[in-house]
Amino acid sequence: MIKASELVDLENATQSRLIFWDEQVYRQEIERIFARTWQFLTHESLIPNNGDFVTAYMAEDAVIVSRQKDGTIRAFLNSCTHRGNTVCHADSGNARGFVCSYHGWVYGQDGKLADVPLEERCYHNAIDKSQLGLQQVRVESFRGFVFGCHDPEAPSLEDYLGEFAWYLDTFMIGAGGGMELLGPPMKSTLDCNWKVPTENFIGDAYHVGWTHAGALAVIGGELAGMAGNRADMPFNDMGLQFTTRHGHGFGLIDNAAAAIHSKRGGYVQFLEETRGEVRRRFGPERERLYVGHWNTSIFPNCSFLYGTNTFKVWHPRGPHQIEVWTYTLVPAAVSQEVKQEMQREAIRSFGTAGTLESDDGENMSTCTWSNRGAQTRKGRIISSMGLNHEGPHPVYPGIVGASFIGETSYRGFYRFWAEMMDAPDWDAIRKNDGDWDRVWTNRHFWDERLRAA
Amino acid sequence: MTTERRPVSMEEYHAICQHYYAEAYLLQERQYREWLGTMVAEDIHLWMPVVELRFLKDKRPAPTPNDAAIFNDRFEELTQRVERLYTGQVWMEDPPSKIRYFINNVQAFDVGGGEYETRCNIFIQRHRRQQEMSQHSLGREDRLRRDGAGFRVVTRKLMLDARVIQDKNLYFFV
Repeated sequence: MIKASELVDLENATQSRLIFWDEQVYRQEIERIFARTWQFLTHESLIPNNGDFVTAYMAEDAVIVSRQKDGTIRAFLNSCTHRGNTVCHADSGNARGFVCSYHGWVYGQDGKLADVPLEERCYHNAIDKSQLGLQQVRVESFRGFVFGCHDPEAPSLEDYLGEFAWYLDTFMIGAGGGMELLGPPMKSTLDCNWKVPTENFIGDAYHVGWTHAGALAVIGGELAGMAGNRADMPFNDMGLQFTTRHGHGFGLIDNAAAAIHSKRGGYVQFLEETRGEVRRRFGPERERLYVGHWNTSIFPNCSFLYGTNTFKVWHPRGPHQIEVWTYTLVPAAVSQEVKQEMQREAIRSFGTAGTLESDDGENMSTCTWSNRGAQTRKGRIISSMGLNHEGPHPVYPGIVGASFIGETSYRGFYRFWAEMMDAPDWDAIRKNDGDWDRVWTNRHFWDERLRAA
Repeated sequence: MTTERRPVSMEEYHAICQHYYAEAYLLQERQYREWLGTMVAEDIHLWMPVVELRFLKDKRPAPTPNDAAIFNDRFEELTQRVERLYTGQVWMEDPPSKIRYFINNVQAFDVGGGEYETRCNIFIQRHRRQQEMSQHSLGREDRLRRDGAGFRVVTRKLMLDARVIQDKNLYFFV
């Protein structure tokens, strides 16, 4: 058993390079993180009708997500209980049931085994179909976003999101219309550890001005000034970073929601028309979030950019590869034309051929593969930017970092990663609920900073 | 494709194939501005839809340009893609990757008004850094417009065969 607390040094904000490379670390992640956390499956808007289904993944386990007659959603493993064959090879569709292509076993929309060919003549009725349904996954939705979990002892999805739900409601409820996802997802493979893009999305505004310098220079907009890390930019005063109990976190760039979108008339108009209602419902602190740009990860492997509106899942494929699935995030209440405009812009920036996406892939893969070298792998990597310039905030829950260019949410991600890796079960994790944030010792940072302002 | 189309003459077919090879050459040589300036119409629509795996009996319509797409570009967007590569700040392409286009199965039809519709198969092989290699197989449907001695592409639909793209990105021009 790996002791993850030895791989992650919270005080000095460093990690062993083994976290991106080691097979044993990966196997423990599969058992202790992916078997026990809530993972994004789909959005209700992508399977609106009775019988609609999509196939998805939870880490390397293939699942079918299926809308039931009563409107509820079920998910179950996409592997026949007879000999293990894949039951459904389509990405999506509408089906009354699923027929295995190997021997014709028939499963219902609910994953239960409905029919076995030659049951009477060749099994002599000595088979208990009620015990041979496809293995069910816990399914819960948050504001239309559907998640699955394998662990019956895990908290509810809402409790798992915890105080992060307070943040998500800012736009997932917004002015009342909520959000939906546009698919079908683009899919691509990338040779990197799954945590590299997750940490990048959760809190890396530092790379924006350098990795994306070329793209920002031609796109223009509010973030163009970041290109090349210009000396005259007020980088310490342009946003915030957040991390919460279960490792979820984001970075906020103020007043920059639509910054990456070139054609944005409809989207900007929507934000302007709805921000007043968001302020009325949620107060000025969340109105600030509503019109800002978020780089976000929901622990463990779901990331999105609110404002740029790309929504991604990084499915692990062993320690050194992922499969990237990319959707577009749009407000449900805008017109079809505005949704299409937003989808085009999101894809053009962060799709598989995106002007910004294309800058990132190499960083992701070489941060992983450099650790193939035994001497390289012995070293450590650091995420100490803005350490101690952070703390509990009088309004915003969790721990808040003072600058959007900082690594507060990295530290929160790896804090919870180590906690989950070392915890034998959810009861052990729950015991830390009261003082999970004790590692952030600068408890009066925000009181002092706000008083000084 | 329209029904009034007629097969092109040998001379026209030759000219279209020569055009495609010249286009591939420019792109292989990273002469993106020349390509955009001489071979792309200003009313271009270049489109690569996301195509799901669906059962044969699934009657939902095929994707349109209003659906998810990997490329869905007008001239302005293509210009932005081209100009990014001249900023000197695209670290992923420095040292530059190598790309080759293999174009075959060309069919061409004259649809009148100085315009042609074509179909072809394209195989792309990219090499990056020390050992990275990626391959892409796709179909392409173009509408070309006569422009003096050459052609400009007016609409281009790219049909990628892979569902899961085995590459870091598809930031190249086809």
